[in-house]
Amino acid sequence: MLFQEWLKDDSKIVLFDGGFGSELIKRGLKSGKIPDILNIEKPEVISDIHESYYNAGSDMCQTNTFGSTPLNLSHHNLESRIEEIINGALENIKKVRPSERLIVGDIGPTGEFRPPVGNASSDQWYSSFLTQAKLLEPGVDLWHIETISDLEEMLTAIKAVREISKKPLIASITYKRTKRGFFTIMGDSLEKCVKALNNEDIDAIGANCTLGSRDMVDLLKSATNFTDKPLSVKPNAGQPVIRGDKTYYEQPIDEFANDIKEMIILGAKIVGGCCGTSPNTISAIRDIINFM
Amino acid sequence: MPDDFFKEIIDAIVNLDEEKALEYANSAINKNMNLLDVIERGYAAGIRRVGELWEDGDFFLPELMRGAQIMQTCLDLLIPHLQKGTEKISLGTVVIATIEGDIHSIGKTIVATMLRAYGFEVHDLGADVPAEKIVEEAVKKEADIIGVSALLTTTMIGQKKIVDLLKEKNLTNNFKVIFGGAPVTDAWVKDCKADGFAENAIEAVRLVKSLLNK
Repeated sequence: MLFQEWLKDDSKIVLFDGGFGSELIKRGLKSGKIPDILNIEKPEVISDIHESYYNAGSDMCQTNTFGSTPLNLSHHNLESRIEEIINGALENIKKVRPSERLIVGDIGPTGEFRPPVGNASSDQWYSSFLTQAKLLEPGVDLWHIETISDLEEMLTAIKAVREISKKPLIASITYKRTKRGFFTIMGDSLEKCVKALNNEDIDAIGANCTLGSRDMVDLLKSATNFTDKPLSVKPNAGQPVIRGDKTYYEQPIDEFANDIKEMIILGAKIVGGCCGTSPNTISAIRDIINFM
Repeated sequence: MPDDFFKEIIDAIVNLDEEKALEYANSAINKNMNLLDVIERGYAAGIRRVGELWEDGDFFLPELMRGAQIMQTCLDLLIPHLQKGTEKISLGTVVIATIEGDIHSIGKTIVATMLRAYGFEVHDLGADVPAEKIVEEAVKKEADIIGVSALLTTTMIGQKKIVDLLKEKNLTNNFKVIFGGAPVTDAWVKDCKADGFAENAIEAVRLVKSLLNK
């Protein structure tokens, strides 16, 4: 299996894709819509974005299904269209996927927090992730559960995916930086999360979003102390700035790419970008990887 | 000594001990204490300490929400017993909401709690609230401040709508408008001609105080 071969090959750095939301904003995404519905409403735009990342050098790209758990879709009155949305997502990426490249099933958070922050139960989470995973499974080569801000939610998602799939799985949590180090907004420390994930039936441990590339370098330094599993990083290219009606991400690409280089030297196996990164960012990283 | 009693209340809130916090509230009522003092120097002081711990990175969302819940439960118990004529004198009135199209509410809820803790009357309209409704409520409640939260770059544009609506209705001088939410920046506030933004609940309190000269 290609992904497993990549993991075993010490000389291979796996290049993920970059931000999706920021690419949609560039293409005039309308206010208030979640990107997942565009699998049905604007399939050509979605395919175009996937293609631009594969062309830029991504080894693997994520399906446009970040928000497609039933729980999250229900917030936008789209739960009844989940099958249509996910099937559309799979078609859109399959159309443009080159050979020897992979399709990653993207699973994002349910948007429901456990008490006292919200009212979600583990059972609700489990059932929601299971529904999404069942629909995605036939069309993906591996999984990326990402941007999760609660260790409990991540462990539940892993359990749900593993219920119906043995395909490789990357588990990425999103951390913020505090005076005391890296934590999720629910208070799980980096150490607690990485150690817990180290014991799970997953293939790589990741961190994505919230942090820019500079902070992600420091996170990675710390994370390598707690696991021997392959590590995945997808930092943001800074924070968005709105001028007039346009959104800009202002971190220079070469600065971001150099931070990624540093992360590779520190031991990152899988690298990519999150909010604010683009196909140009991926090209720059591809050049760096090829040169190393 | 009242000071010891207030310290016990603060500790109960910081320790997230609802049972103790309610016990003290009942005790204060039964002993006919000055309940305004009890609220301000006990419960509000407690939640302010929780806010400080959150800023320091010692407390996280669960602690913040639990602290806010416990405080509100105790206030619900105490406020009906406030002696006539000693009703809380508010430092100002704030109408707060998350803009239409956006369901994120945790940050806004915490800001509302902190503002109440610091003496403001706060009307929290919830999330996904149309700009027209926010303005309507601000007029009804004779608010001093309108606070609008947006967490998505796609819904931020609704914050500008509030300012534009006020201008349309010739109400610009009646309210100060402040923004909140991760994507908000100085540049955005200037663009919208709003009166400021805050990155967290403690900053929001400072901003509101300075805008109202308190």
